[in-house]
Amino acid sequence: MGLIKKSRRAFLQTAGTVIALPILESLAFRGKAFAAEAPKPAKRMVFLTFGWGVTNETWFPRLDDTGRDYTVPPGLQPLLAHKKDFTIIQNLTNKYADDGHWGSTFYLTGANRYAQPGQTFHNTVSADQVAAEQFGKETRFASLQLGCENAIDSGHGIGLSLAWDRRGKPLPGLDNPILAYHRLFSDESTSIAERQQQLQQKRSVLDAVLEDARSLKNGLNRADTDKLDEYYQSIRDVETRIAKDEKWMSIPKAKPAEIMTEPDKSVAGYEEIKVMYDLMIAAFRTDATRVITYRQPVRSLLKSLGVRVSSHDMSHYAPGERMEASQIRDQKQSELLSYFIERLKNTREADGSTLFDNTVVTYGSNIRTVHSLDNCPTIVSGRAAGVQLGQHVVLPQKNTPLCNLWLTLLQGVGVNAKSHGDSTGTLAI
Amino acid sequence: MRSGAHSLLLILCLAPAARAADQTPVAVQTTAAPTAAKMDEKHRAFFASYCTACHNEEKKKGQVRLDNLSFTLDSMQTAEAWQKVLNVINKGDMPPEGSKFPAEPEKAAFLEALSVELVKARKLLGDQHGKITMRRLNRREYANTLRELLGVEIDVRDLPSDSGAGAFDTFGASLFFSQDQFERYLELGRRALDEALVEGGQPERKKVRRETEIDANREVRHGLHQELLAPYRRAKAWKASNGKSAREFGFTDDADAKFKLGEYEAYGATYAQYLAMPYSDTGSFLCIYRPRPYESIEIPKDAPAGRYLLRIRTGKVDGAPEGRAFMELRLNNAINKRDSALIDTYQVSASVKQPQVIEIPVQITKSGCRSFLLREKRHAHESAESASFHEHKNRTGVAPDPALWIDWVEWEGPIFEQWPSAAQQRLFFKGEPPATNDESYAREVIIRFAERAFRGKAAQPQFIEKLVRLYRARRAAGENFMQALKEPLAVVLASPSFLYLAEPLGTQTRRELSDLELAVRLSYFLWSAPPDDELLTLAKDQRLKTPEMQRAQVDRMLNDKRARDLVRGFVHQWLDLERLNFFRFNFKRYPTFDEPTKIYSGEEVYETVQTLLQENLSLSHLLASDFVVINGLLANHYGIPGVKGDKFRKITLPPDSPRGGLLGMAAILAMGSNGEITSPVERGAFVLRKVLNDPPPPAPAGIPQLSRVPADLSPRERLVLHQEQAQCAHCHRKIDPLGFGLENFDAAGVWRNTERYKKGKELKDWEIDASGNVPDGVSFRDFFEYRALLKERKEKFARGFTEALIAYALGRPFGFSDDDLASEVMNKARADDFKIRSFIHAIVQSQAFSRK
Repeated sequence: MGLIKKSRRAFLQTAGTVIALPILESLAFRGKAFAAEAPKPAKRMVFLTFGWGVTNETWFPRLDDTGRDYTVPPGLQPLLAHKKDFTIIQNLTNKYADDGHWGSTFYLTGANRYAQPGQTFHNTVSADQVAAEQFGKETRFASLQLGCENAIDSGHGIGLSLAWDRRGKPLPGLDNPILAYHRLFSDESTSIAERQQQLQQKRSVLDAVLEDARSLKNGLNRADTDKLDEYYQSIRDVETRIAKDEKWMSIPKAKPAEIMTEPDKSVAGYEEIKVMYDLMIAAFRTDATRVITYRQPVRSLLKSLGVRVSSHDMSHYAPGERMEASQIRDQKQSELLSYFIERLKNTREADGSTLFDNTVVTYGSNIRTVHSLDNCPTIVSGRAAGVQLGQHVVLPQKNTPLCNLWLTLLQGVGVNAKSHGDSTGTLAI
Repeated sequence: MRSGAHSLLLILCLAPAARAADQTPVAVQTTAAPTAAKMDEKHRAFFASYCTACHNEEKKKGQVRLDNLSFTLDSMQTAEAWQKVLNVINKGDMPPEGSKFPAEPEKAAFLEALSVELVKARKLLGDQHGKITMRRLNRREYANTLRELLGVEIDVRDLPSDSGAGAFDTFGASLFFSQDQFERYLELGRRALDEALVEGGQPERKKVRRETEIDANREVRHGLHQELLAPYRRAKAWKASNGKSAREFGFTDDADAKFKLGEYEAYGATYAQYLAMPYSDTGSFLCIYRPRPYESIEIPKDAPAGRYLLRIRTGKVDGAPEGRAFMELRLNNAINKRDSALIDTYQVSASVKQPQVIEIPVQITKSGCRSFLLREKRHAHESAESASFHEHKNRTGVAPDPALWIDWVEWEGPIFEQWPSAAQQRLFFKGEPPATNDESYAREVIIRFAERAFRGKAAQPQFIEKLVRLYRARRAAGENFMQALKEPLAVVLASPSFLYLAEPLGTQTRRELSDLELAVRLSYFLWSAPPDDELLTLAKDQRLKTPEMQRAQVDRMLNDKRARDLVRGFVHQWLDLERLNFFRFNFKRYPTFDEPTKIYSGEEVYETVQTLLQENLSLSHLLASDFVVINGLLANHYGIPGVKGDKFRKITLPPDSPRGGLLGMAAILAMGSNGEITSPVERGAFVLRKVLNDPPPPAPAGIPQLSRVPADLSPRERLVLHQEQAQCAHCHRKIDPLGFGLENFDAAGVWRNTERYKKGKELKDWEIDASGNVPDGVSFRDFFEYRALLKERKEKFARGFTEALIAYALGRPFGFSDDDLASEVMNKARADDFKIRSFIHAIVQSQAFSRK
């Protein structure tokens, strides 16, 4: 107890009190003694996706079997233990999605690929990035994009991760657990001095243009000054980001006790997904980020399970070997999801609640099955967004925008969003 | 009223001829500037019976109170409240079920008056009264300005496009600066400098030719034997094995084996046919769908950036139809070749025996794509490709014959006019830097560059000082002279004095522009680019302000090729040509209206205006004309014989041609469709907006579809239904007949006498009825009479053009307070037979153009 207090004070002395601390919470994890003065835990969002859809016949509950007492279908059997803690939603669709090989490209954006005249590809901001704009201010990483190697083979389509920025440009992802581990927990290879110099350079650039702005401002009337203010705002935005980079630069990355070493290079498929789930828990525990997306591997998952059918062929299943492969895949993924939910439930926060209470997890795909893009398979878990868990919901309206779900969850966790993608409103779930 | 009366008088005095042709009193009224939008008192009774009986202070039904709503729409709040009233009546939500209903004519009269007043209110409340807000360079101008400064073309698509939403991209008040835009400018500036400033000696110019048959035959042979035939034989053996697993025969599973069986049966003959074709041993064919729809030209990754020439020796296969003798050049920049970006299309008029060489200049950047594709012109849609392939194959057993043959392809470059480039020599005006102590030279370079970037205005010493500091830091970090200069120069390109066209007012409310400011306004109006040396010199010598000099400069600038940016920038937005990209045309109904044809149809509009500008012809050629400006591809689309080649040129039309003028142009007609069928409503609204300068109120929101559409009505009869319901009739009885007059043109602008569509379950051909009437009541029997009527109303067209051009030139919306200016411009232009340059001269010489 005394030791903890001492190190906390020492930390505050070095870093100044301005900073809301990642360390604080990780210290708090050690015992309930801190709960009294612990801040309210932050809300977090996790978006999990996979390509090539699911086995239509055995993954979805029957449409007339809704509510709390529905029968959990074979594809979701491994989740039975958590039946009260997740909700399945049917009838969600991304109406502009038009390519069955692109399971993740528009999953969180709902964009119309052809919205920009004369161009064959266009995307818009993804739901996770909307959340990151708000939740990312206080963490080292505004968001974390996890992915897999050969994403195209795993049915994710183009893009570098699930995340797309405000301009509709793809954000890079960490495509294996080793990369993710080092990003989260290893220190940068460039020295602090070098990085400080880079930031200094950026500041000098801002300083120069502000000098020009000052001389331009002389003699401008009201309307013109308002115009120039937009320019100033853009500069302030860069300044804010530089300040954030600088703030985190001198703080060593927090490392949770249970993840001390780099993941084994050979993990692939089933084990790889499991390690990624572990890393997500660790990232939340150290408050490295509050928004995570993950494009899960399908190809290497099948391989690790000893299934010889290729992932694309599996999605074109017919009774027989391909369908069996598809069903095994569904079940193993459910098993992994069950493991993740379990870990969220077992991880305590500073105030005694669990990560499960403060996180919302979605699990699904833009593709239902084969090449069908309507009724995207969708599971929601975690209590952070206020969704009633333990249900099978069939939305009254066929092809309800998937973005209505994203909007509902964003608002549910307190993100200030009025619409998202092609959303037409929120869901009553 | 003062200014309105004034302008009206001018029209009456100066234009007796125009008055005779245009006898509609309504038209003259529209030029009078109203001081307020006002609902006439005669509508008070309607409002009282159907609205305020419930929505009053006492009942306040639905928490809405309207009894205190002013009949004068003099504030945004009042206008918005009235807009809501209009919307709910339009939608049929009000009056509610069970309450008293107005008779249709009564309701129509109320709605019409209200929509007209709302249009007026919007224009009045948006009037900037001559104020021009400081503006940022829009995306086009930014790209052009970089090109003029550094001699490089940069892909600026990372920036917002700045156009659209009914405003011109020159309106300062609508040109916003988003939060991350500063960094984008910084990044683009760095990229431009990286492209522009090169070190070392001039790269060697290389020429590499490839005989295409070598790869083509190898690929097709491999496709036939390895990919089709071998698996087919294995699959046959599996079939014969009776129940063995397909895996034993090398397939992933049974389904895979079955697929391979079918694939050979479907395509084998087509591959064999290719290899057997004459001339396949000396060249390659561009096929439809399979086996080989594309040929490629690859410039290697390590080849230096610069200008290159691509050459293709090609011929049209004997007997192939003329309509297929077009080759597309595409940039191989997409995952799927079909999604590659179209660069241009070329007509192939030579034969295989005596081929021609097509030569195409391309600009290669350091990081940009350098892989090119060739294919026969057609719809880029996969199902379009496979549909025409399978249609032919099902009929004949093999693929359609290819139409284009390629002997060889070649690239040559990089080609430099100068080394280093003119821009680089200008920047480093003293040549190589001294061996030691180069900072004073760097400072001079920065000062001169900043002055040019700021369009002749010297930068403040403190700013220069900070830039030199940036240079110093880079130099200290080990960069050489040129590298270290890039950062401060990039900062200049992201600084506000570069990005904004500022005309500071100080404490004054209005003032004359300086010569330099005038030069800048002039060059961004006519070129969308910075002033050149000649303009800057005139400005510095203060010689730009005389009418003679301005006239001479405007003519000089319009003759310059940079004036193409005025044509493109202005015409695109004035005529809403953006809409041309809104729809993908149905490839089954319009097989020839593919992407190249659509693009060239847009080009026709620009090239026609460009011709009017170059030859200084009357604007009325856009209403009706004895010539068109087209190329071989469009001539093929229009069925005009004897026009070959890719260059646009003036072609004289026979007197009975429906072409000539905007309303005979495929682009305009295609915009009045949805890619499936024509839309007389869109076309009629276009004529009202752009030709008659009488824009209809915006389409109301949330209007229900026509509820009663019997199946046996012709398209025209269906539209007449529009006019039955009051909320529709008040606009559509004006709009629709103007669209009916164009019904002889199908959605792709091709002439037709009948239209085929479903009547009940059968297909039926209907004779097109293109009769109608213009809003002033004069009727027409067919398109030709219609076109003649519109040409008589050229005064209105010219007025609309004038208002748009003023808005574009001054960078703000046209308001009622600009009426005098518009009349002044019109009078000058009218006196010069509405020659297109007379409008531009009149605007430039107006007081408004030279004042802030």
